[in-house]
Amino acid sequence: MQTLDEGMVAAPAKRSVLRLLLLPLVILAGMGLSVEAGLLGPLGEQVGHLWATLSIFGVGSAILFLLLLFAGPQKGPALTELPRWQLIGGFLGPIYVVVLTLATPHIGIAMTMIAILSGQVGKSVLIDHFGWFGATRKKVNGERWLALGLIVVALVLIARG
Amino acid sequence: MGLVILLAVVVLAGAVLSVQAAINGRLGETVGVLRSSLLTFAVGALVTGLLIVFFEPAQAVSLLEVPKWQLTGALFGVVYMMVMVGAVPVVGTAVATVAVIVGQLGMGMLIDNFGWLGNPAIGLSSSRMLAMGCLAVALVFMYRSTRQAQ
Repeated sequence: MQTLDEGMVAAPAKRSVLRLLLLPLVILAGMGLSVEAGLLGPLGEQVGHLWATLSIFGVGSAILFLLLLFAGPQKGPALTELPRWQLIGGFLGPIYVVVLTLATPHIGIAMTMIAILSGQVGKSVLIDHFGWFGATRKKVNGERWLALGLIVVALVLIARG
Repeated sequence: MGLVILLAVVVLAGAVLSVQAAINGRLGETVGVLRSSLLTFAVGALVTGLLIVFFEPAQAVSLLEVPKWQLTGALFGVVYMMVMVGAVPVVGTAVATVAVIVGQLGMGMLIDNFGWLGNPAIGLSSSRMLAMGCLAVALVFMYRSTRQAQ
C-alpha cells in the first residue's frame, strides 16, 4: 500500500551510485504491489473477499510480529500510550483491500491502480481547495486542476473499456 | 452502469488509502515503522475477522484449500514497506513514488495482458493506453505544482 500525497513532496536526495542501485529495487517493490493485487482478485473469487482480505492482514501481522520480536527494543512511546484516534488506520486498511479483491477481476489490475491513484490525487486536491475535514483552505493552482482533469479523462476511458 | 459504480468505489478506496497513510505516517514517526505497521495489520485482521464472523456467507472453498502461492500476497506488501523504508532516505520520496507507480502500472499491465496468477486476460486496448498516458501527464503536473509550492 502506498500513497501519492507524501510522495509528491520533493525531497533533496543524495547523489550517489547507491541511488542507481536502489532504483530498480524500488520499481520491483512497486511491481510487488501489483502482484499482491493480482493474487487477491482470484483468491477472493474462490474463498470470498473477506477471507482473502484476512489472509493479507493475518499473514502480514504474523510476519511483522516476528520482525518486531527480532528487531529488539523499539524507541518511542508504548502503543498503549498513544491517542486512540491514531488506531483508525487499522479500520481503513481493510476497506482498501476488500475493494481491491472486488475490482481487479472486473477492470483488471492496471486500471484498478489508476483508479486508486485518482482517488489519492483527487482527495488531496479537493481537500486543499475546499478545506474539508478541518484542513486549512489552500489555493489549488492551475496545474493541479489540470492533473485532476486528466485523471477524470483517464477514468472515463477506463469506464468505456 | 455497474462498471461506473465499481470505478467510483475504487476511487473512494484510493482516497481512504491516503487518509490511512496520513494517519499511519504520523503514527510511524512516533513509534517506528515496524510497530505502526503491526498495529495497522493487527487491527485490520481483527476487524476483518469480526466481519467474517457476522457477515460472510459460507464459502465452498476455504483459505487452507487453495494453492499456497495464492496466500503470499502479504509478503509483497511487507517487502515493499521495507524497501521503501531503506530507499526513500537515499533516492528521495518524489523519485521513489514515481518508481513505485512505474513498477505498479507496468506489472499491472503485464498481469492483465497475459492473465497471469489466474486473472482474466485483458488485452492492451488503445483506450487503456490513452488512460495510462493521461495518468502519466497528470503525475508530471502534480509533481511540478508540488515543487512550485515549496
